[in-house]
Amino acid sequence: MNSMELPLVIFTVLSQGAVGLVALTAARQWAADGGGDLSPAPRTAWLTAMALLALGAFAALFHLGHMGGAVRTLANLESAWLSREGLALGATGALLLAGYLSPGLRARGAATAAAALGVAAVLVTSMTYAPAGFPALNNALPGVFFLLTAAVLGPALAAPFLPDAHQPVAMRALRAAMLVSLVINLVVPCVWLSGGTVMRLTGEAFLAAPLYWLRMALLAGSYALARGGRMPAWMLPLLVVQELLGRALFFMLPVHASVNIGNPF
Amino acid sequence: MKKQLGFLVDTEKCIGCFTCAMACKNVYHQQKGIAWRQVHPMGESIYPHRERAWLSLACNHCENPVCLEQCPVKAYAKREDGIVVHDQDACIGCGNCVRSCPYGAPKMNPVEKRAEKCSMCWQRIDAGLDPACVHSCPVGALSIADISTARLDGWVQYPAGYPEPKRLNPSTRFKAPRQPREIRRNDA
Ligand code: SF4
Ligand code: SF4
Ligand code: SF4
Repeated sequence: MNSMELPLVIFTVLSQGAVGLVALTAARQWAADGGGDLSPAPRTAWLTAMALLALGAFAALFHLGHMGGAVRTLANLESAWLSREGLALGATGALLLAGYLSPGLRARGAATAAAALGVAAVLVTSMTYAPAGFPALNNALPGVFFLLTAAVLGPALAAPFLPDAHQPVAMRALRAAMLVSLVINLVVPCVWLSGGTVMRLTGEAFLAAPLYWLRMALLAGSYALARGGRMPAWMLPLLVVQELLGRALFFMLPVHASVNIGNPF
Repeated sequence: MKKQLGFLVDTEKCIGCFTCAMACKNVYHQQKGIAWRQVHPMGESIYPHRERAWLSLACNHCENPVCLEQCPVKAYAKREDGIVVHDQDACIGCGNCVRSCPYGAPKMNPVEKRAEKCSMCWQRIDAGLDPACVHSCPVGALSIADISTARLDGWVQYPAGYPEPKRLNPSTRFKAPRQPREIRRNDA
């Protein structure tokens, strides 16, 4: 089993939640520009997204052996996904600030750009965590997992900032994201079972982990109880906990190829 | 192909004594639990005999090293002779290379909190000496060669039990272990 990488768990979940929140807020600003209701103003949502992104970035520093070198992580943009990730998330943060400071909060352009860049940043981040050493993750799956985190936490984080009229839409988006996340997270370990030895060992590690099933139960329970047109207050912490749990397992359970040296691959 | 030094591992000669791994540890004073060279037993599904066979592995000094590609601070460099060297002073301990290398060659030094790995003893090579592990092997199972020019008939790049991420093009070559001959009473 690998280390939990708690700083990376916090960083990835918070930054992806922030991107989900920005995407929902951008959609709302488009709807308002089409004559919809923009009260209460989305200023607090922008601020919350910035705070989540900043907190996540701060947490990420703790996974470095030498935090002081963090500024140098942009040195290898030619080939290192970690360098590109730093650039993409920094640019997303800058656009969020621009959107927040825009007069009248009708900065549709900034909102759309921040949302699009945020989604791109999530995908770039996912490449950092799709290393060649882990065959089960050396593919598009980290991107899928990370986008699902943004899709689940986005509506859940946005709900408190939405007017009553928009609550049912957010609830529908949340339910759809939860269902897709549940299906994908249940199917993927089963698909890993049919891969090479290291992939199969990864699938077996997930299916044998009580914490994996606890996470699935929390997600399935939240989905079953997510009825009506408004998200209950208890649901946000529950969804954050199951995402943190899922991400911890993402770092802990995949099997590294080197573990199997001397045996068939 | 440009000059590329690589290890030649003769698994037919290797007796699994771990002297190479110990020699490396002694020269570089690796922390407890860290070994830049490791001697992996071949599993029974690959070598189903009473005798054992071994893969002595360190960094493969790949043609396209993923450690170098993914290091955000460019702590890795590839020399003219193909050796992939790591500058520990530049490393910030992000762990990217450790996760990325399918051979598990870079290790995280728990005290320094920076990565480290086999350097192919480039200082010894520059001085005209063999690497410490090669020098120490009592049965001559390890050597180095320029694989761009050496005649390597009978040597393989991907023996069973060795990861095969082709994009990296690892430089180590192997001679497969001999299959033991079963002698029955009637054969004698
Ligand atoms: S074996 Fe791993 S550490 Fe060595 S050069 Fe190849 S990728 Fe880099
Ligand atoms: S641990 Fe050091 S050498 Fe490895 S990728 Fe990170 S900064 Fe580079
Ligand atoms: S070449 Fe040198 S550094 Fe590499 S495994 Fe052998 S002794 Fe260790």
